[in-house]
Amino acid sequence: MTAVTDNRSEVLTWLSPLEPHLRHNDIRTTRVKDVGDWLLRTEEFRSWKNGDGQGESQKATMFCSGNLGVGKTYIR
Amino acid sequence: MFFLKIYDYSSLVVDTLCDEPAGEDNAVACFYFDSAAQKEQSAMSVLGALLKQVASSLEKIPKEVTDAFRKHKKFIGGRELQLSEIVKMLGSLSSTQPTFLCLDALDECAERDRAKVLLSLKDIIKISPTIRVFLTGRPYVGDEVGGKHFIEGTALVSISPPNGDIIRYIQTNLAEGTSSGRWM
Repeated sequence: MTAVTDNRSEVLTWLSPLEPHLRHNDIRTTRVKDVGDWLLRTEEFRSWKNGDGQGESQKATMFCSGNLGVGKTYIR
Repeated sequence: MFFLKIYDYSSLVVDTLCDEPAGEDNAVACFYFDSAAQKEQSAMSVLGALLKQVASSLEKIPKEVTDAFRKHKKFIGGRELQLSEIVKMLGSLSSTQPTFLCLDALDECAERDRAKVLLSLKDIIKISPTIRVFLTGRPYVGDEVGGKHFIEGTALVSISPPNGDIIRYIQTNLAEGTSSGRWM
C-alpha cells in the first residue's frame, strides 16, 4: 500500500515541482464573501462555464482583463 | 486604502467550479503567476503543474502518465518531459471529464514563457474542444490573446467591479480591523 502511495506522489512531483493549490488556499482564506459575484452572474461567464453558447458564441476561453488600480493593487 | 485584487476573481472562479452541485466530476486546475518567481514558473513547470492537478483529481493516475514516467525514468538521473508531451496528455485527459484550467495574472509570466503557455493552451483546446480555459491579466495580454497569440473563440471581459463590490470590501476590512491588512 505504501509503495503505491509513494509512487503516486513521485509521479505527480515529476510532472511539476510547483504546488499551485497552496497559493490558492492562501488566497481563498483572505477573499471577501460575495465580492466578485457580479462576474459569476454575467452571461459571458455562464455560457463559458456551461459551454452552451451557440455557434459563434461558443467560447472555450474567457479572458478577464484588469488594469492597475482595478484589480491588481494591494490592500493597505 | 482598500482595493480588490485580480487573483480574488481567479480564486472565486476556481472555487465556484469546484463547488458546483452538478460538477462533481469537474477537474479544476489553477495557476497563479508571480513576477517574483518567473524563474521557477517556466512554461514547462506551469503546464506540468496543471497536468499534475488534473491527474491527481482522478482516482487513479492515468496509464499514459505513469507510462511516460517509467519511460523517462529509464534514463540515468531521469529525463524531463517535453512540453509537447504535457500538452498531449492534458488534451487527452481533458476529453474524459469536464476540465477547467484557470491561469491568473498572465502579465506576471515572462514574455517568452507566456508565448509558450498560450500556444500550448491553443493546442490543448484543439485536442479537447470541451476544455474550458479561464485567464486573467492586464489588457495588453488580452490584446495578445486576440492578436499575436490568437486563441480562437475567446470571451473578453473587463474587470471593473461595480461600486457595491468595493464598498462591501471596505466594510469587511473595517469590521475586521487592521489585523487582516498588510502593512507596507
